[in-house]
Amino acid sequence: MKKLITKIEGEATLQIQGDEVVEWVDIEFHQFRGIEKYLENKHYMDALVINPRVCGICGHSHLIATAKAIENAFEAELSDKAKYIRELTLNFEIIENHIKWFYITLFPTQIKDKKYLFKALQFSQKISQAIALIAGQYPHNSYAIPGGITSDITYLDLTKVKNILLELQKFENEIWDDFDLFFKNLPKETGKSNNRFLTKDLDISKVKEIQNNPYQNVTYDGLYYETGPLARMKKNIEFVYQEYEDSIYSRIYARVYEIFYLINKNIEIISLVDLSEKSYIKPKIISNKGYSIIEAPRGILIHEIEILNEKIKRYNIIVPTQFNLSNGTKENPSAAQKAMINERKEYLDTIFKCFDICAVCVGH
Amino acid sequence: MHLKPKVIWIDAIGCNGCSHSFFNLPYLSTLLEKLDILYHPLLESDEFKIQESDILVIEGALKDIKKFDSNLLTIIEKLFVNTKRVIALGSCASFGGMFGEGLIFNKEKLGKFYPCKNKVINLPGCPIHPEWLGYIFDMLIENKPILLDEENRPKEIYSFVSHSGCIRNEYFDWKVDSDDFGSKEGCLFYNQGCQGPFTHSSCNKILWNEVSSKPRAGTPCFGCTERNFPKENLFKTDTMMGIPSKIPLGVTKRAYLTLAGIAKSLKNERLEKRLFEYEKTNNKNRG
Repeated sequence: MKKLITKIEGEATLQIQGDEVVEWVDIEFHQFRGIEKYLENKHYMDALVINPRVCGICGHSHLIATAKAIENAFEAELSDKAKYIRELTLNFEIIENHIKWFYITLFPTQIKDKKYLFKALQFSQKISQAIALIAGQYPHNSYAIPGGITSDITYLDLTKVKNILLELQKFENEIWDDFDLFFKNLPKETGKSNNRFLTKDLDISKVKEIQNNPYQNVTYDGLYYETGPLARMKKNIEFVYQEYEDSIYSRIYARVYEIFYLINKNIEIISLVDLSEKSYIKPKIISNKGYSIIEAPRGILIHEIEILNEKIKRYNIIVPTQFNLSNGTKENPSAAQKAMINERKEYLDTIFKCFDICAVCVGH
Repeated sequence: MHLKPKVIWIDAIGCNGCSHSFFNLPYLSTLLEKLDILYHPLLESDEFKIQESDILVIEGALKDIKKFDSNLLTIIEKLFVNTKRVIALGSCASFGGMFGEGLIFNKEKLGKFYPCKNKVINLPGCPIHPEWLGYIFDMLIENKPILLDEENRPKEIYSFVSHSGCIRNEYFDWKVDSDDFGSKEGCLFYNQGCQGPFTHSSCNKILWNEVSSKPRAGTPCFGCTERNFPKENLFKTDTMMGIPSKIPLGVTKRAYLTLAGIAKSLKNERLEKRLFEYEKTNNKNRG
């Protein structure tokens, strides 16, 4: 049976074997844009404008990953201020992504009611505004550049950002109530997977891309791993993980938990920023290779660059959805495949979407 | 048009950034009440099917690829003939952008749908500004005429330049350039590649997310609403013998250089130095 999945930042097709219960699933993505090739021979700074356009929902992560990959090549120095401010905006993107994913992508798989869309947008518009106060606009700014940030923000800006965070804190109980509502008719043990997790402190030499037209599967040391909020927040939500392991319940719990974890983190960061420091320290341009590994909303994001005479010679992007949604084999299934096997078909949409898929990122 | 126009919003080749940008429209909930959304790539809607619509929104560029078990170009052709107005949303649909072709224009050549250009409203921008699209929807709902320029862009939005309303305008007027990135002072037109003075947009008139814009955050305008977006060397000003090779719209190079020379020689002392500087704080005590 073939099932087209939409509303996931693009589309995917599932080729399903089995009648009532899923025996096997092949995952297919269709879009391919060739951004890595497009970057070749362009000035390295142009990547800061092109790469956010990989994705409309996590483009800021691609910006930060680009700036860091170039900095790695240049061995650039950064002020604490620039590091803190970038962490703020990256966290904001993760928060915004999770809230939109929860209410706009995931919620309708169980509960269809427009009011949840507007609840999400009321929240996410504030987050976009907080990013814009620092970075000029959202989506698609290019304020993070090798050596720091372009903006010279003031405490006036930070005061506004902080107050947005304090406003958002008030949503906490309401969102957890909606979380409980979502699981009202859904077995919490559904969608257990490989129980193998990967976060950004990995050994990049063990990451391997395997061609699977038109995109690439990604293994780590030969196996498929799960990356993303559950991998990051596992320790913080130990009590949930102990009981439900890597089921849809833990996976969704981790994402909702991370929203408020990062809101609190950002309030703390604002208290630590010293605006007397430099926003930008001009780096020394050298021809070299560099890479970056960051935690984007959906998990590990890797950018690799090779710069020759200020031009991009080679660029490579590995996105979180490639890790989680690879099309593996029955002996070695990816996290999403394993989660769907032996489950009833009626839960398929929810299980698949609980990985927070980004098809446009896969089709970079 | 019906009381509630039927809208089909189709995502072609792109990043979904225009959809996400549109989600930032402050009055989105009241606007959506006035539209009948038959299909949208992210919003809850019925399954996609070819059907008649009043407004067709095409987000992303055209390319010969698989879509919904069919082909993207075939689908768009069918939707195009079955609708009253088409919004080419974002620079990809308007001009091709990075990933494919535009509907009625490309960077240099005309687009496939040029013969039907009267149906199309071009809304370039990467991404689209939410309020621009909100305004167009409202005009279409109210059945009011929309003034378009020679590139089929609404004049009310694109008659301005991105430079209009920039808080760095004083620095532009007195020819004080920004030495480097990361400073609130100085104009980004001379060294950082800012295309504000010749980019058709109202980014500094209708602010982004109601609060800011790229140049306000020290990032140059990349000319993302223009037909040639993205140009190469986006963070560098193209110069000829030390003078910016593209100058503000509407003046001759000679007039511009005369005025620039006078402004620079007269010097604005307030703008020659930093507006203020912070003293190092013991940030443990802040909060």
